Amino acid sequence: MSFAFPVRAPRLFVALAAAGAVASSFAADIKLGAAEALSGPAGQYGQSIRNGFQLAVDEINAAGGVKGNKISLQFEDEQGKKEQAIDVFKKLIFQDKVLMLFGPTLSNSAQAADPIAQGAKTVVFGTSNTADGITSIGDYVFRNSVTEADVLPETLRVASKHAGVKKVAVLYGNDDVFTKSGYDAFKKALEDLKIPVTTTETFAKGDVDFKAQLTKIKASNPDAIVLSALIAEGAPIMVQARQLGINLPFIGGNGMNSVKVFDLAKGASDNLWVGSPWSLGNQTPENQHFVVAYTQKYKAAPDQFGAQAYDALNIVAGALAKIKLTGNLETDRKALRDALPVATHTGATGAFKFRQAKTKDGKPAGYDAQQAAIVSVTKDGKYLIEK
Amino acid sequence: MLEQQLVNALSLGCVYALFALGFTLVFGVLGVINLSHGAIFMIGAYAALQVVTKLAFPLWASLLAAFVVAGAFGFAIDLLVLRPLRKRNAPHLIPMIATIGLAIAFNNASQGLFGAENLRFPSGVVPDTQLHFAGVQISVLELAIVLLSFALMAGLLFVMRRTQLGRALRAIAESPKAASLLGINVEGLFYLTSTCAAALGGVAGVLIALYSNAVFPLMGQPMLHKGIAVIILGGMGDIRGALIGGLFLGFAEVMSVAYIGSTMRDAVAFGLLFLVLLVRPQGMFGKVLERKA
Amino acid sequence: MEWFDNFWSVYSNLVLTIGINALLALSIWLTLSCGLLAMANAAFMGIGAYTASLLTMNAGAPFPVALAGGIVAPTLVALLIGGPTLRLSGVYLAMATLGFGEVVRVLILNAESLTGGALGLNGIPQSTQWWHVVLALVLVLLILWRLRRSRIGRAFEAIKEDGIAASLMGIGVMAHKMLAFALGAAIAGLAGALNAHLTFFIGPSEFGFDRGVDILTMAILGGTAGLTGPVLGALIITLLPELLRAFKDFRTMMNGAILVLIVLFLPKGLWDPLRFKQWFARAPRKPDSMPGKAA
Repeated sequence: MSFAFPVRAPRLFVALAAAGAVASSFAADIKLGAAEALSGPAGQYGQSIRNGFQLAVDEINAAGGVKGNKISLQFEDEQGKKEQAIDVFKKLIFQDKVLMLFGPTLSNSAQAADPIAQGAKTVVFGTSNTADGITSIGDYVFRNSVTEADVLPETLRVASKHAGVKKVAVLYGNDDVFTKSGYDAFKKALEDLKIPVTTTETFAKGDVDFKAQLTKIKASNPDAIVLSALIAEGAPIMVQARQLGINLPFIGGNGMNSVKVFDLAKGASDNLWVGSPWSLGNQTPENQHFVVAYTQKYKAAPDQFGAQAYDALNIVAGALAKIKLTGNLETDRKALRDALPVATHTGATGAFKFRQAKTKDGKPAGYDAQQAAIVSVTKDGKYLIEK
Repeated sequence: MLEQQLVNALSLGCVYALFALGFTLVFGVLGVINLSHGAIFMIGAYAALQVVTKLAFPLWASLLAAFVVAGAFGFAIDLLVLRPLRKRNAPHLIPMIATIGLAIAFNNASQGLFGAENLRFPSGVVPDTQLHFAGVQISVLELAIVLLSFALMAGLLFVMRRTQLGRALRAIAESPKAASLLGINVEGLFYLTSTCAAALGGVAGVLIALYSNAVFPLMGQPMLHKGIAVIILGGMGDIRGALIGGLFLGFAEVMSVAYIGSTMRDAVAFGLLFLVLLVRPQGMFGKVLERKA
Repeated sequence: MEWFDNFWSVYSNLVLTIGINALLALSIWLTLSCGLLAMANAAFMGIGAYTASLLTMNAGAPFPVALAGGIVAPTLVALLIGGPTLRLSGVYLAMATLGFGEVVRVLILNAESLTGGALGLNGIPQSTQWWHVVLALVLVLLILWRLRRSRIGRAFEAIKEDGIAASLMGIGVMAHKMLAFALGAAIAGLAGALNAHLTFFIGPSEFGFDRGVDILTMAILGGTAGLTGPVLGALIITLLPELLRAFKDFRTMMNGAILVLIVLFLPKGLWDPLRFKQWFARAPRKPDSMPGKAA
């Protein structure tokens, strides 16, 4: 028992208190942003995406957060408009000072808004952008949405193997970025696989009648119809095709990968082949956990958008766990960017890792998704996985 | 293939005509381009959908519901928006702008209420049978739409040409001031026209929603654009013009898909429209003179 | 100045968009002041945007050249279609120009190799600086202000009131309408070129019916009595999504509702000098029994 003890005690006490203060300042919320189309024509996708994010955040926070810090995810509505996306990005990055942000929902908005994040050295992570020209913006741009160029060759291969497809007709929406770039990917894949095209027809968003195109397709005698469409047009197309007596298989892009097709095209929804990194029927434990949790929380089956959002948040959480947050925004943002490219994750969409893309001039840029596609065919109101 | 495409053109044309009939009626009598007609069309479809899904009523009840609900909206629009503008003698472009605002409000309200996704009528509401004859096929619903649009056109023409009511409406179309001096109840007939045109639009909404298997908040907008093209081609305000213009547009669209290439479809349709406007702006059956006060 | 730096990094896009929208609203004000409801300005904006962007990206042109291209191209198109189109009046003109707008949109959509089709043009360099927008706005306001006070401006008013009487008075009605139409197209094209070089990306769907309605709304909301109205309208319509964020899902619905309310209750728009005079004028005195006394 030294009499120096009481003298040292206050310093020790102060040191402890300081350590305690520092420690408690580290148990702060991790602020992330999500700019998605919560209203407007892309609203249904944005809402699925929001659900996926929220489910992941709630799960992570319930389990104690990332190294004790809870994630706080701030949603902003970018309405599916590029100007709104830009404004919302700026707000989240400069005003709310988020560590990184997710979104936007549409590829067009991403092309306009992602440069803002790149310029501000803040990671932007898209979960539904599939067009070209996004990850080539720079090395702060990430996405886990697998592009059609990666998925379609696999879909075509499996479908033609099972359905004996020798020649196809192609039908696509030529006024929508998603369906048009899907068509570009299909066209290239068909050329690579040397499958001849009997006729190529187009439609526009909001069309209600496809019989002119379908009649022409029927007369050209294909073995299958390759369809790049969103469900809104895709479902009526399938119904009208069956009405015209066209009983050929449909080969769809991942816009057709949604359980809504069973409702909207009831009775005509069989024999649709789709490829996607995610399938409702995929029996892996991670996917089943996600499907059950999502259905319980939102009282509806999840779709691809929700699944990719859910996985994206988990990927980021995983990367966050590996870095040390200093409280300095600039440093932390850079640390996250450096930790992400090597992140891997096995989630609802299966095994995932990043693959670096190039800028237009060939320099290394942002990061695309590297994932295997699952090909399924519809039968009796379900997606059955085929290999 | 040609015969089937002709049948396709007929049914598509009648779909457009069905929408355009209500649209042209409002212009003919009130002199207003009612750009909220698309929203009314959508409201009719949703009303019918609610009746069928929530109350499990049969098809005829849902058509009635669409007729009544859309008609009510038409009446309300006339009472609350168009009438005050009439009383103020606003230049005729102002009501058009007001209807644009209404369309935006209604479309987005329904998105907020019902969600942005596509819904559909439960299957079985309309029999799915296809009729085959002479190597072509047409579904029961399409045939119904074709017959209905011809019947409506005939009925409306009959009213316009052979009845007192029709005579009164034609007088108003010429000159509302003169008509009221003649003792015609101009305001009352304006209400009637707005209500009936909207009711027709609502019924069109249900039929086309059944035909296309899709009910969604913005469903009226593409139809509105086509409707504008139809009434310009056929002549604004003319009932025959709505049907003939509709058939013309349907024919042009289907034939350009079948024989030119589907990418050019809209270019052909709007190019034709533009040409008609330059060469004969009043359309096929329209009158050249602008209405007098 | 740190406050300003923060403000600017968050809101720079919004502020510049207000300026560009003001240009658009002024372009339609110009045609309205001549009595023309020409709904083609969204299409002209698109032509200007694409021309300028293609000049920058494909031909490597410097920014001023691209802007010039963005002004000249729609003007030429306006001169081309103006002849036959401007013979129409009232709703027919409105419909014709709407139809023209759709034709332009479809052409852009289909001229894939040039315009990128539905995928649009991406990676446009962000050349637009704040002073470009300010300069453009000031110049346009100056030109329009002088125009208003000149014989041409008075001719516009005359034509707006009664085209037949104006022509009987010796005013070249067609020539004046063409001037209004083409100048409106030039301004809209300039706005398009500036916008394209602000947002990195343009696509065909941005220049269609919806944009045309927005532009018209801005002018009508603000008031068409003078130049202040369109600028005010542009300010409000651009800020509205920000201000209405609280309404969330029903935000755009409020947009539409506000338009209806303005049309119903403020027919001349918000900026109506006559109405202001009425508010602030003294109450008229009752006529006196004394002769010779002014009221």
